[in-house]
Amino acid sequence: MLCEECKVNEASYTISVMVGGEITSRHLCGDCMAKMNMDIASGNIKSLLSTILSAITGDTAPVSAGQEVVCPRCHMTLGEFTRTGHLGCPKCYEAFREQLQPMLLQIHGRVQHAGRRPLSTAEDQRKRTAAETLQRQMEQAVALEDFETAAQLRDQLRALSAGGEGKA
Amino acid sequence: MNELDVVLASRVRLARNYEDLPFDLGEKPDSAAMCVARTVQALRLEENAPAYDLVRLRELTPLQRQSLAESRRISRDLMSHAAAAAVLLREEEALSIMMNEEDHLRIQAVSQGLNLGEAAEKCFRAEDSLSRHVTFAFDDQLGYLTACPTNTGTGMRASLLMHLPMLTLCKQMGNVGQIVAKVGLTIHGVYGEGSEALGNLYQVSNQVTLGRTEQELISAVTAVGHQLIDMERTLRDKALANGRVTLEDSVYRAWGLMNHARLMPKKEFFAHWSNLRLGAAVKLLSVPLERVDALLTDCQDAHLCAWEEAALEGAALDQARAKRARMMLAG
Ligand SMILES: [Zn+2]
Ligand SMILES: [Zn+2]
Repeated sequence: MLCEECKVNEASYTISVMVGGEITSRHLCGDCMAKMNMDIASGNIKSLLSTILSAITGDTAPVSAGQEVVCPRCHMTLGEFTRTGHLGCPKCYEAFREQLQPMLLQIHGRVQHAGRRPLSTAEDQRKRTAAETLQRQMEQAVALEDFETAAQLRDQLRALSAGGEGKA
Repeated sequence: MNELDVVLASRVRLARNYEDLPFDLGEKPDSAAMCVARTVQALRLEENAPAYDLVRLRELTPLQRQSLAESRRISRDLMSHAAAAAVLLREEEALSIMMNEEDHLRIQAVSQGLNLGEAAEKCFRAEDSLSRHVTFAFDDQLGYLTACPTNTGTGMRASLLMHLPMLTLCKQMGNVGQIVAKVGLTIHGVYGEGSEALGNLYQVSNQVTLGRTEQELISAVTAVGHQLIDMERTLRDKALANGRVTLEDSVYRAWGLMNHARLMPKKEFFAHWSNLRLGAAVKLLSVPLERVDALLTDCQDAHLCAWEEAALEGAALDQARAKRARMMLAG
């Protein structure tokens, strides 16, 4: 099978994307795959974007103007996003969610966030402030070579984070 | 300690955006000003907040901007957004909060040697100070929302600045690239055009940002860092055991040239610098690594211009570089 990107070399890689529960595939040669990976590494995701979009739309021309998806806040269109690889505003993530999912899956291999979250409750805030204070005191104790106090503070810190700061 | 013989520095960067502002504020001065004002204000509201210096890039000369980039206090990208860009600097912690780059905020901290945990902690503390007073764009499924989908999720990039002269000399960087890619990381040269890696300096960093915790990303980069350190050290030991004269020759030649040359073009500087650092790392030279690393920053163009208080170019720049290197190595 020929590479669907350059249509010159033999395809040796398959990119699979999930679209609405169905798997669509795209076949690339080593050169085009390497080029795409280089692009991603350098933050340029345009080629990946068009690859994925053509996999979704089945290699046909972009969605016609009438059914163009538009971000309600910044008015960026899906077409503009595809051209630049950059979103217009945070709200774009909602507007283009369907198209972004397979792309994010391709880039990151996962689509469910793990890790830090904004401090939403007063309790979160209190805990984090307490941890910071302990951290500072511990650093001070270490600087003063008061290792006994430092060890106590470290245990308090551990107890605090075990108390449920989440995964972070 | 901290694997300084191979790792110069650890850097962590967090991308954050304000929920209600559009991305790419270069063309939107009102929103860009809002982004700066809001960030500064949030830090002011913070009780016993540490002091930051606010620097607006448009108020600096191009050389001053470049100097900040050479010191790795700001990114090269921030310079290209100079009209709207600003940075809050906290020199003691090597912490910078860049505003109006690709994302509204890029919180960045650097630590010496292999110590991503410490660099991350500094970033998190700064982020917490801010997030007590402002709302960042966040989605339960996708995490922190960024201008480019390659940063979505944690918005975190953890990177190591590594000196890998023997792996480069032994043509192992291809293998290294494969090892690194296999675990979702990237490696590339820090100085030079394209695939060049002047000074044999490389940056290893995580490529994926979504679906792993900050801790997982840091562990992955640290683990690969250790693997590369072991590979590099093994080759260094081998060279000391089997090809000692060859190694000594390149180290002492570099020492001689750096101490006596009168004109030092940039590419040549990087080549000698690399041998000098290798010599210091394997204790052939008694010059401290900190001084060799300081040379790397202080002998770059904008730093030399600041030092000579003149807008130097061409041969004058090469002359200043040679003079600066001689003086710094003399102690
Ligand atoms: Zn191809
Ligand atoms: Zn939008």
